[in-house]
Amino acid sequence: MAEEFEPKIVAFLCKWCSSAGSDLAGVSRMEYPSNVVPITVMCSGSISPLYIFSAFNRGADGVLVSGCHPGDCHYIKGNFYARRRIALVKKLLDYIGLEPQRFQMSWVSAAEGKKYTQIIKDFVKELKPLGPQTKLRRNL
Amino acid sequence: MVNLDNLKKEANRILKEEKVKYIIGYKKSSNGLFTVPAFIKNPEEVEKLTWDPTCVYNLTRFLVDEKRKKAKEKEPDERPVGLIVKGCDSRALVVLLQEKFINRDDVYILGVSCEETGVLDEKKLAKTLKGKKVKNIEFGKNDNFVVTTKDGKTEIPAKEILAERCLECNANFPVISDILFGEKVKRKSDNPFESLEKFESLSKEERWTFWKEQLDKCIRCYACRSVCPMCYCDECVADTINFAVIAETTAEEKAQKIKWVEKSPVTSENFVYHLVRAIHLAGRCIDCGECERACPLDIPLRLLNKKLEKEAKELFGYEAGFDADVPSLVSSFKDEDPEDFIR
Amino acid sequence: MEKILTKKSFPLWVKELVSYKIYAPQKNGDLWNFETIKKPESINLDFPNTVLPPKNIIFPQREVLLEFESSNENKLQVKETLPDDDPTIIFGVRPCDAKALTLTDKVFSGDFKDPYYWKRRNSTVLIGLACNIPPSPNCFCLSVGGSPHSKEGLDILMTDLGDKYFVESLSEKGSTLINLAKPLFQQPKAADKKAVEKTQAEAEKKITRQIKDIKKIPSILKNMFDSPLWDEESLSCLRCGICTYLCPTCHCFDINDEVASSSPVKGKRVRTWDTCQFPDFTMHSSGHNPRPDRASRLRQRIFHKFQYFVERYQNYLCTGCGRCISKCPVGIDIIEVLDKVRDYGS
Repeated sequence: MAEEFEPKIVAFLCKWCSSAGSDLAGVSRMEYPSNVVPITVMCSGSISPLYIFSAFNRGADGVLVSGCHPGDCHYIKGNFYARRRIALVKKLLDYIGLEPQRFQMSWVSAAEGKKYTQIIKDFVKELKPLGPQTKLRRNL
Repeated sequence: MVNLDNLKKEANRILKEEKVKYIIGYKKSSNGLFTVPAFIKNPEEVEKLTWDPTCVYNLTRFLVDEKRKKAKEKEPDERPVGLIVKGCDSRALVVLLQEKFINRDDVYILGVSCEETGVLDEKKLAKTLKGKKVKNIEFGKNDNFVVTTKDGKTEIPAKEILAERCLECNANFPVISDILFGEKVKRKSDNPFESLEKFESLSKEERWTFWKEQLDKCIRCYACRSVCPMCYCDECVADTINFAVIAETTAEEKAQKIKWVEKSPVTSENFVYHLVRAIHLAGRCIDCGECERACPLDIPLRLLNKKLEKEAKELFGYEAGFDADVPSLVSSFKDEDPEDFIR
Repeated sequence: MEKILTKKSFPLWVKELVSYKIYAPQKNGDLWNFETIKKPESINLDFPNTVLPPKNIIFPQREVLLEFESSNENKLQVKETLPDDDPTIIFGVRPCDAKALTLTDKVFSGDFKDPYYWKRRNSTVLIGLACNIPPSPNCFCLSVGGSPHSKEGLDILMTDLGDKYFVESLSEKGSTLINLAKPLFQQPKAADKKAVEKTQAEAEKKITRQIKDIKKIPSILKNMFDSPLWDEESLSCLRCGICTYLCPTCHCFDINDEVASSSPVKGKRVRTWDTCQFPDFTMHSSGHNPRPDRASRLRQRIFHKFQYFVERYQNYLCTGCGRCISKCPVGIDIIEVLDKVRDYGS
């Protein structure tokens, strides 16, 4: 039997909430799929759309952007900027014909280890039937 | 209607009184029908200035060059530059002012209103006339263009040969100017997103097939970027080298420069370039359509930029190029911004 | 060898050539470009100028030169990747574009014969189509030593005579193709030859644009390096690459490593087109750029075409196709620039 497709997810996690949330999931020994390559950034507001396009370009099957809940941003309003920017990126990627399921955003606080594992579980489940992302993948 | 003589009179006055360094306007090209950008320094050259439906260029783009040149001068001439702008060009100017890229004192704005018409599309004109050579073209009455060929003058309804961007224009007169020529008449009943909505109704796979075919044509001549008044970054992610390099930059620093986009014109790299450009123009593009006009391979770039223009309007109630005093689209937010897509 | 081929027989001839990879001008939207054809009937030789010259078939915008990979012992393995030399035919080559290849031939020869270029070049047969009507209003081939029916660089020249083509074989490669379908070709009559002469003479008259006194230009340019003309003429230049990328003779390139993995090292060394019009073209690693502005870049384009190349190879690096004029987004016209150069000299 052919091996099941395991999607590769690049997750941009803000240092103060989402990354801490993923750490909590880890130290609490919660189980979740190992498909994620986490990249910790200072704030979800610091994620350039270029990072997202580049992740797809280098072969990500899905990209997750995660930050603090509104009102909880360490830098007061970085996640509000992110919310606007990511909404536009999401619309754009959908518009050019990339499967919308491949790009997600979430709010995960430092206390929400459980929520983080659930988001990853759901993401992996949604990506599996789509198969590998080849549209934007670099194949030089 | 714009009175060309009055425009020339004003140009003559500001040059004679040495109010401006020079004037950026339009002149007839010495070969053929279209106009070309003109840089008028002396009152004697003012006669060259023209205004007709072939004034397609967004001259605001040249303020970027002017700013760069001025930055290098030891004793810069602090007088403003005279700039002729149409409605769309003026909105580009507003964005540059909003972003504090230029100061209001840097430019003396000679606004020209397109009124009920706009500028023409060279290809549409050629098709309409079936290859007949055009000698002259001017604005006529009743929104017609008066076209002179070897067979004499004919009137063509502007709508038939107007550039697509003009048909979808929602402010066809300058929104900012020091002196305005022509009337502030707004054209009626245009749907600014007509072509976009038609395209949006396609399925996801059809959209992908379309964009792949279109962007695969790209030869990365960067005409779209070069002609755009908003593409003024000193360093573009698509360039292979770092312009911030100075003599003191270490070899290690140079080696660590991230190559976001390879130079190879292949699907994946072309997409990164065009997607980055599109998102960087979100809330900044004022739909002058110059990128699409300049593209030698007819890639419908407006369709990409229009999408984000529409989303900015629908999601955030934001329209670019009308007010230099509001914060820009991505440097602001509202508490009630949509977040139903966030988990 | 001179032959006559009726237009009806033309697709039959193409059918005999199926063992070759065949390129011909194809229409996509409003634009014509050279593309591989699937069906012999799909060749339509009634076309204006293609946006891109056939240069990219011989000298593609992206060429993989070699592949590299580090092995277990940490040694770097390098593999040269020469292109396939599948026999190829290009139909509908305009005489200016064919002549342009004879110029790039010079560049890729010399002490080092570029194997990538020559492998493609040698396996390609160029079938030209004489221009009875100038395919662009900006054609000026007559000024730069070409003509709408020039044979230079071609293997076969076809001239449209209404319901038939006058087919002239100019090389062994060309004769081979004709011999593959011998029965389709007829001997030309005296009247046919006359018709060709007449069409050619008329075609020349239809070319309206010209560079006057072009012979004087190279020597005038020599004294114009520091002329203020370049500032003046480049005021509206946008620094895009259209004029050079669409030029059939421009051949500057860049070489980059496209690294797929840094550990273990794996990737490709790739050659891509480059252009003197880009700001990073001559950027030094120190940060110094000897051609820092638009003026010096426009000057480089004109000097390379009408001074440096003339001195080195006794040819203008321009074949008068007019693409740079037609497609310049701000209407910079190389003929006008050269007119001003000439005026400057007198």
